[in-house]
Amino acid sequence: MLDAALLLGALLACVVGMGWFALSLDVHWAQVRGSAPQSPALVKALRLAGAAALMFSLVLCLTVDSPSIAVLVWLMAVAGATLAIAFTLTWRASMLQMLVFWTTSQGAR
Amino acid sequence: MTSATLTYRHIASRTAVAILGGYAFTWGIIALGIALMYSAGMAFHDAEHLSYIIGLLVFLVAFLVAFAAQGLGRVALVLVGGGAAMTAAAWWVQSLIIGAGA
Amino acid sequence: MFANFRHSMAWLHTWCGLALGFVLMVVFFFGSLSVFDREIDRWAIPDTRFEPQPMPSFDKMLRPVFETMQPDAAARAATAPLVDGPLPERFDTPRSWGAYTTHRDPVLLLFAGYEVPGAKDHETAIYANRTVDPRTGEALPTDRLKLGSEFFYPLHYSLSLDWKNVGYWIVGFSALMMLMALVTGVIMHRKIFRELFTFRPKKTTQRSMLDMHNLTGVVALPFHFFFAFTGLVIFAYIYFPVTHTQLAPLHDRHEQIEAKETGLPHDRAGVAAPMASVDAMVAEAQRRWAAKGMGGAVGYLNVQHVGDANGYVSVYRAGTDRVQLTGEGIHFKLSTGELLREDPPPTLVARINEFLTGLHLQHFKHWLLRWLYVLGGLSGCACIATGLFFFVEKRKRHHAKHGVSGARVVDALAVTVVTGMLVATLSLLIANRLLPDLMPAGWPLRGAMEKYCFWGAWVLAAVHGWWRTASVAEGRLAPAWREQCLAIAVLAVVAPVLNWITTGDHLLRTIGSGYWPVAGADLFMLASSALAFMAARKLQARAARPVTASNVKLEAKHA
Repeated sequence: MLDAALLLGALLACVVGMGWFALSLDVHWAQVRGSAPQSPALVKALRLAGAAALMFSLVLCLTVDSPSIAVLVWLMAVAGATLAIAFTLTWRASMLQMLVFWTTSQGAR
Repeated sequence: MTSATLTYRHIASRTAVAILGGYAFTWGIIALGIALMYSAGMAFHDAEHLSYIIGLLVFLVAFLVAFAAQGLGRVALVLVGGGAAMTAAAWWVQSLIIGAGA
Repeated sequence: MFANFRHSMAWLHTWCGLALGFVLMVVFFFGSLSVFDREIDRWAIPDTRFEPQPMPSFDKMLRPVFETMQPDAAARAATAPLVDGPLPERFDTPRSWGAYTTHRDPVLLLFAGYEVPGAKDHETAIYANRTVDPRTGEALPTDRLKLGSEFFYPLHYSLSLDWKNVGYWIVGFSALMMLMALVTGVIMHRKIFRELFTFRPKKTTQRSMLDMHNLTGVVALPFHFFFAFTGLVIFAYIYFPVTHTQLAPLHDRHEQIEAKETGLPHDRAGVAAPMASVDAMVAEAQRRWAAKGMGGAVGYLNVQHVGDANGYVSVYRAGTDRVQLTGEGIHFKLSTGELLREDPPPTLVARINEFLTGLHLQHFKHWLLRWLYVLGGLSGCACIATGLFFFVEKRKRHHAKHGVSGARVVDALAVTVVTGMLVATLSLLIANRLLPDLMPAGWPLRGAMEKYCFWGAWVLAAVHGWWRTASVAEGRLAPAWREQCLAIAVLAVVAPVLNWITTGDHLLRTIGSGYWPVAGADLFMLASSALAFMAARKLQARAARPVTASNVKLEAKHA
């Protein structure tokens, strides 16, 4: 049961991390926050946060399984998370607002 | 892409060099790799597997080079000639090992 | 020949992808199904729908079965040409007996290899196999085709074309082309990070197909690369049989040395000897593994040189807790049970090789990773399919204007390997539920009939596909896609319903009792039906849209 919870946490961390990476790109930022400007500091912060979330996910994977399996689980989780974020941006972009809740919106679509 | 220069003959010759030349070169790498690594003391199946791993990556690169390179003749020479040379060298190394003691 | 490097890579990507994309669709799809091949076996053979079992007692249950096993007619027919004179009635000298089980298999596979008296090559052997219920030792009724492990899986790695290994070679070449397509694709794709999350279904068909192609290709790039590469590594001995041809002397020398070093005799002594208790040897092996801190179940048991003074027993651990396949083999003398050898820890090269092959062959126990593998495999299918769609979309109007039929041919082939393949797969599962357990006299066996239904359904789908893509030659969307999507939507509901009717195992029961092999298969099919139905609706809407001149232009850079 604990293993399942840890793996779920790893998956979520991947999704959040890839979401932050996506939001660091201006085309996707515009989908979520409209024409609100994106400062270079914010872009950098989002990418650092994304990397941190992915690292955290890897650590969670390593606590559950042997290293050889954990690395594969993590790589595939990143792939799945990227797909999830891509499809969310396509159809429900506003859902990603919660990832940048501390910023303001200006006419997001 | 100008279809003026892209004739069937061009495509066929590039493809032949890529596949046949690439295969010959890879065979040479694998054979020589196994012979040399085994003679250096590596376990036989380890030498075999490592040579396969390296050889397959080499095949991939050779295939790309066959299409990307400007002079097809030079590529063909390297792949086929190199493959033959390495295969011959592997034969020679094997004869040394077998000759040294059964 | 090409204007520049990028140009040559783009050309290669298009034509490698097109030439072998059809084969790769088949390889990727049945590879994805093969992740759950043993679960599909359970669906196909209701008699085996019970829980996975540990390896049973060799002395009490397996040895009596081994002693009655003999090769079947097909094996005899294949071996007859390799022998001078007639084959014996009974093969009495077993070279080896093997038993294999996994954490996913309720049933146990038994193999036996026999010496062939009078064979032209003294290394020739003839084989028998049997599948038994480990709780009772009873054999499964013959002629129960394991749709997953005995059909989809071989289809994946050899296209079921066994003649002179032609199928293996075709799949191998496609794998090399897959690696080519991945490398050239990355070189071509200029905005690989910028467009990582980009998917715009509302734009033109060309744009949205290309977006999806890039997305599914890049997102699982390590997966796609490693699977193609490790597939080639696994069968490298077929593609480059160096150690059985040019370097055979070196190989034979190694075998002799190894036999002396390991104390595991290469040949029989020719002296009969009794068999000690194999169960005791297995227990000792498990004790030794536990003492090293790696307790585990027995995955594979092998008895070599049965009944001979040189005989030995090898016990291998089922490696379910990691990727590497290595089995920590322990070997005992057959006649006395004394320990002959504990396999030493593997070398670095052996570990690397075992990691690469284990990554592909998936003996590990990890349900999440398996499902992620299916996701990767289906992404690969989506990548290849959308590549084909993009090819057609980009060219069909141009071809229509110039009376060329290239785009139409590609679209017809695409229908065959995308929706047609799904129609064939579902038809096979339906045939599996409808065919009688015992075929009437004069008919092919049930297993063969199931295969005929599969291939027949695929041919029908191909014919329908050819007929209903005629409009592509006029630059329009083919109705074949919508029609086959509807067929899939229907078939993917019929199969689970038939499972319910013919076995009583409906979803409430299988989910309720937690029997996931069958529940999972049924749920997967129902989900596929929903997706196929949605796709058919979208295609219907698209067909109703008028074609405008503007939805043709795209980046001129793409070849």
